[in-house]
Amino acid sequence: MPARRPGQFRNARAAFGRPGLTEASANIAGVNELVSVRGISKAFGTVKAVDDLTFDVAASEVFGVLGPNGAGKTTTLRIIATLLAPDAGTATVAGHDVVKDAERVRATIGVVNGGMGLYDRLTGREILHYFGGLYGMRSAAIEARIAELDQLLQLGDTLSRRAGGFSTGMKQKVVIARAVLHDPQVIFFDEATSGLDVVARRAVIDFVKAYPSAGRAVVYSTHVMSEVEELCDRACIIYRGRKIAEGTIAELAAQGDGKGLEEAFFRLVNRYDTSRGVAA
Amino acid sequence: MRPRIILSLARKEIISTLRDTRAIVSNLVIPLVLVPVMMIGMPLLLGSLFEREQVTVTNVGVVGEANVPQELRAAFTAANLALEPVTDADQAVRDGTVDVAVVIPGGFEAMLAGGGSATVEVHSKVGNMKSELNTSKVQQAFSDYQSRVVAGRLSAAGLDASVLRPVTVRTVDASSQAERSSGQLSWLIPFFIAIWTLTGGQMTAIDATAGEKERGTLEVLLVAPVRRAEVVAGKFIATMTFGLSAALMAILGIVIGGAVMGSLIVPRLGEGASGMVNIMGGSIALTPTIVLALIVSALLLSAFVSALLLGIAMFARSFKEAQSYVAPLSFLFILPAVALQFKDLIGLSDSVFYVPVLNVLILMDNVVRGVGTGREALITWGVMLVAVLLLLRFALRNFKRESVIFRS
Repeated sequence: MPARRPGQFRNARAAFGRPGLTEASANIAGVNELVSVRGISKAFGTVKAVDDLTFDVAASEVFGVLGPNGAGKTTTLRIIATLLAPDAGTATVAGHDVVKDAERVRATIGVVNGGMGLYDRLTGREILHYFGGLYGMRSAAIEARIAELDQLLQLGDTLSRRAGGFSTGMKQKVVIARAVLHDPQVIFFDEATSGLDVVARRAVIDFVKAYPSAGRAVVYSTHVMSEVEELCDRACIIYRGRKIAEGTIAELAAQGDGKGLEEAFFRLVNRYDTSRGVAA
Repeated sequence: MRPRIILSLARKEIISTLRDTRAIVSNLVIPLVLVPVMMIGMPLLLGSLFEREQVTVTNVGVVGEANVPQELRAAFTAANLALEPVTDADQAVRDGTVDVAVVIPGGFEAMLAGGGSATVEVHSKVGNMKSELNTSKVQQAFSDYQSRVVAGRLSAAGLDASVLRPVTVRTVDASSQAERSSGQLSWLIPFFIAIWTLTGGQMTAIDATAGEKERGTLEVLLVAPVRRAEVVAGKFIATMTFGLSAALMAILGIVIGGAVMGSLIVPRLGEGASGMVNIMGGSIALTPTIVLALIVSALLLSAFVSALLLGIAMFARSFKEAQSYVAPLSFLFILPAVALQFKDLIGLSDSVFYVPVLNVLILMDNVVRGVGTGREALITWGVMLVAVLLLLRFALRNFKRESVIFRS
């Protein structure tokens, strides 16, 4: 596991390390794999976006989903997040099937994507109350959680100002607060740092490092090798919808003959293309 | 379906729209102001123009001015017409020198005095309101003159003028008070209500669908543990709130406009102007029952429009794209509403009450004119309710379809 760096969210582990707020998080006891994906496939017309993908994410780990744009990362995450139905295969989150028990899965997860979308005419506090309500939280519980997240993420002005006037950094704080408001067991980060400046990007990375604990995990999807190297305990590499490698970061990097993860990635991709008779 | 979640979803959309000043102005302020202005302004403008033309002395071009007999001159003067000699009647009307011109042939007076007949020409622009108004004044002058000539001839023959009118025709207006006061512009009321139902809900519907996609918030919303039916219900309630409130503002505008017109303006107008104002529907007065029937109709219409807007706007990828999808919907209301003014000529059968939208427009028109029946209302409202449920299913289907949610 890579060393944790001190940063903005250095106290996050302590903050998130207490018993979960939701009923779903109480049900996790005894489940080792928080996310389990078994042979999922998804096609859009004739294009196979995800092809027979299998992986597990255990509690307390940051699991990377690495691949170039269009590899099928977002489709995979959307299937696990219950937004897309797989054509084949199964997936579970905290033991709940993503198709048969979608609502429970959704209560268990949080999503941070690269869009950083917020409601321009609502204040940060109103946005958090809105989503808290959708997660079945009572107003007092939401307020208490906002107070915790304010300390953790330094939400400050964002709570009273309308999101339309937010800087990228302010948006990113509220987006993260929204994703963890209900204390989810699994958070999905999908290209979450794209478009962020260096300070905001660092804040996301610090947060991801701090979040996992005994009952929690992070699934981090990106095409940026350095982020995977810094953040992830394990990762799988997805290419043309298929998993072409999986292991700890050290195991994956070893395939690059000491030249790092990026070199390993290109070697694996080339090997895959060669085996399939595709020109590199 | 959990009411707390639905209300939470609706509340957010309502707050979002309420904070958009443009939406408030176009939804609530404009109908409340524009409807009375149009209701009062249009009949008043036409009424006062009509009255002005009646009392203003208008120049009438005349070819053969020397041929005009003294009695005809007197008839023209009595009709507030002044003769202006011109050389070419057509040209004078065409170039705007006069609105109407007459041609009096040589020997006109002598022909009539000899017991013969003569032909005069009246040149005017058909389709030009001012020209036609003055033509009617000219025709009135000729008619008065003709009556005098005929009376003179009958008198010379020892006969009374009544010998020519053995039958007197008296027309009686059989329309109800509501029909009379709604005038010929009653169709404008369903038109106003329908248009504001659409414009009122439009912004909220687009913001809650394509707007969510464009901002990237739709995915986050759908990842929350809410059911799609709850999402549709919440957004539907919010859209309908604004569609209905805009329609209610339009109804309030009609009530205010009618009251102001009836109590303050019509009593101060001359006979000609107030007659014209009544014909144009300026003295409309809505009873509480009519207002209630309009509100129920507006409620169902806004529900229909809201479900339709949500279903359609969900297809769009952006706010702009959604606007281009919903813009043609205005024709759905404008064309039937405009056709309502010819409803009597078209001769619609009862089956129209089974056609959504058209039925509610006709019902509102009938209700305003005091000729709507309970049976028509029940059929219309029942059909609209079924249509709303079908459209909500359509919207829900779109909110569930991956190809619509992630359309790119």
